[in-house]
Amino acid sequence: MLRYAIRRLLWAIPTLIATSLVLFLVTTLAPAPPPTGDPLLDEPRRARFADLPRFFNGAPEDVQTRAAEAVRHVAAEDARHEDAARDLVRLGGAALPYVLPSFEALAPDARGRVAVALAPVAERMRLEGRGDLTQPAAAVSFWTEFWYDRALDFTPLALERAVDRLVNHGSDLRESDLVALDTYALSAVMPALASTTDRVALERLSRLAQHATERGPVISPDASPRQLRLARADWSEWWFVHDDDFVALVGADRGLAMVTETRYARWLERAAYGQLGLSLVDGEPIADKLRARAPLTALICALAMLLSWMAAVPLGALAAWRHGRAFDLASSAVLFVLYATPTFAVAEVLRRAATGTSVSGSRVALAVAALVVGSMATLARWQRTAMLDVVRADFVRTARAKGLPEWRVAVLHALRNALMPTVTLAGLHLPVLLGGTFVVEEVFGLPGVGFETLRAIEGHDTAWLMAVVLASAVAVTAGLVLSDVAYSGLDPRVREVLARRQGGRTS
Amino acid sequence: MKSDPPPHDASVTIDLARRKRVTRPDLGAPLGVATRVAAPYVTMTRIAIGRLARHRFARAGALVLACLALIAIFADLTASDLPIVCRWRGSVYVLPNVVRPAALAGLDVDAMRREAGPDDWLVSALVAHGPLEKGAPDEALRPPLSAGHPLGTDTLGRDVLARVVYGARTALVGGLSASAVIVFIGVVLGALAGFAGGVVDSLVTRAVEALTAIPTLILVLVVVATSPHPTTGTLLWTIALTRWTELARLVRAEVLAALGTEYVAAARALGTSPVRILWRHVMPNAVGPAIVAAAFGVASVVLLEAAVNFLHVGLPDTTASWGEAMGEARAHPEAWWLVAFPGAALLAALVALNLVGDAARDALDPRLSGVVDTSVRE
Repeated sequence: MLRYAIRRLLWAIPTLIATSLVLFLVTTLAPAPPPTGDPLLDEPRRARFADLPRFFNGAPEDVQTRAAEAVRHVAAEDARHEDAARDLVRLGGAALPYVLPSFEALAPDARGRVAVALAPVAERMRLEGRGDLTQPAAAVSFWTEFWYDRALDFTPLALERAVDRLVNHGSDLRESDLVALDTYALSAVMPALASTTDRVALERLSRLAQHATERGPVISPDASPRQLRLARADWSEWWFVHDDDFVALVGADRGLAMVTETRYARWLERAAYGQLGLSLVDGEPIADKLRARAPLTALICALAMLLSWMAAVPLGALAAWRHGRAFDLASSAVLFVLYATPTFAVAEVLRRAATGTSVSGSRVALAVAALVVGSMATLARWQRTAMLDVVRADFVRTARAKGLPEWRVAVLHALRNALMPTVTLAGLHLPVLLGGTFVVEEVFGLPGVGFETLRAIEGHDTAWLMAVVLASAVAVTAGLVLSDVAYSGLDPRVREVLARRQGGRTS
Repeated sequence: MKSDPPPHDASVTIDLARRKRVTRPDLGAPLGVATRVAAPYVTMTRIAIGRLARHRFARAGALVLACLALIAIFADLTASDLPIVCRWRGSVYVLPNVVRPAALAGLDVDAMRREAGPDDWLVSALVAHGPLEKGAPDEALRPPLSAGHPLGTDTLGRDVLARVVYGARTALVGGLSASAVIVFIGVVLGALAGFAGGVVDSLVTRAVEALTAIPTLILVLVVVATSPHPTTGTLLWTIALTRWTELARLVRAEVLAALGTEYVAAARALGTSPVRILWRHVMPNAVGPAIVAAAFGVASVVLLEAAVNFLHVGLPDTTASWGEAMGEARAHPEAWWLVAFPGAALLAALVALNLVGDAARDALDPRLSGVVDTSVRE
């Protein structure tokens, strides 16, 4: 049993990957806004990784390639040199280890232009005695000397130690040391920002990050937990999207980046780490929102599933047992009409019938009732067909011939076998039920995932929509696996067959 | 296969479909005909049609569907802003509401009645309003049986009857076309998976499992919300491209079962080409599931279309939809006619489609037909 369950779980992985591919293709259907060249306007584009190739990245970009590209444009003083100079300032300190050592290789006037372009970085670093950096000659000698003095600070080890010291025994001096590293410090500051709980250290770290990136919130020591959560989410989302501007790909990372620096991989990374991004409407982290809304949806869904099972199994079984008699005919007719009635129509009618009740508990009850109507009818019809197959089986006749009481034959011999097909189908019914939950939440105004999704559609909150499809697909896959495992629990024969066959398909 | 049975032949051989008399072929017929009907057999098609025709509920469902189809086809005669036939400024127009002649541009029945000259006349449709024609603010939410609007008007002053009638067109055309795509993809991929096996089979099976795990309604909502210019077509394509999985699964199973049969082995032994084996010997087995899937497919497309439009997710209102009309009623609980009439039409269509689908399944699945359902339904 356990072995089968584990096997079935493992086989859900390829299915999940295929699901993720489908969802990825669907959710990237929406064209990203066209590139404008202005980094600020291109931000939404960047957040969706629209500039990355879909599945394979032959030449992944990092701070090194970006810096080299910018230097090339500035040095050549071509049409794009102004954008390139701005890029160079944005990359800031993180680009210096790749720009300054190769200063010698540039032609003298090109060197001057690059050095002047870097002047705003020096200003941001609050370096002492920098002189007039708009003069090429002065700028070049300043930067050459700077690198001669400080190259050792621009190493991962030194950086890590500096950030460690700042977190543990923060002082203004240590902070200004890190300011002098500019964006180079981000690769250590960001993880520290996410992990440390010390309010003072958080303030220092976020102030550092804000100073280097010229964006984002500073976490003040007396921030409320909500503010703290939002600020942290903002920084981690920003770093998730922009880390390739400030981190160099070294060694194996560069090879790996060919696969990971793609739109699909980044999208998958988001999903896998719960980095679902920020809502485009209110800036709340999607993951938090999902956690807050999901319980209600899960409750409605589970209650509806449970109740419709409890009603459908006896109903369908009894109808089949009384095959062709009045109860069968009447229940079949009623179930058929209920089966054909759309859930939203049932919900709408129920809502109208119950106007006046405003307690949220009763609204949940109504929503569940609206869901139960349809799914109960579906399940009962399946149960009836399954039972009919069994009713005429030899073993049922044998049980009767042995003189067993009628209820014993019906429940212990017939129904037990007739339950199995319904169990499998119940798994397949889960997606329908989940879709129905979205509808009833909207009709009854229950603040669950479905209700929020409809609001997200109005606000074009694609981040939320992507997260919701993904989450529902994962939930449904889990349900399918569960129903398969339950099925094998009921029927040892199936367990053996399925375990031998790949994929655990039940059809 | 279609030959007239000789009238007074006593040698009736098979009576599978009851009431369908199948007789020995006329041995005196020319050779070409005789070979075609050489064996005394009834085709599955005949059995199925016979069963369907005797199925009382299937007949009722088909009747309702036929009525809806007629309503959809002749929607222009029931409700239109232009007349059906008219004489205007000296020339006669036939069906101007369909043809939309340039000479009548900007006019509608009311305007034409007002400005009619002595020689002009017109025959208007039952309701002189198109489904998209918005009324003045004071025309909104008129109850049924008010002047000019037999079933009342909605929140934008549009005629409910017109919207119900044109909604039938949207539902049926959308349902049929999406269902056709579903059947096509399902049969092709299912057959391919079953017949080719190996990598193709695994790929199709994964795709089927992956798509099964995504709730269709949620997916449709998201696609409609994220696509830049959503239309009813977007919605239908999304449904069509994701709902073929069930059929593909069934067709694959049928193909695998058929490939194991002795008649396929015999065909192989005779040197029949794989294509011919697939087409002649294997695929006929998939016709049954395909027909059943088509019937239920139309039902599920109609249902999904109505549900999505009910939720008002930003589809442009260039088509009339039952679900959309019902969605409008949410803000106006007193306007019962907005729920009642489109709801009745939707329910009738769904019940009829499911009846026909159920009956088709009973008729086409020999395993079920004898044992399970016929005795109940007849």
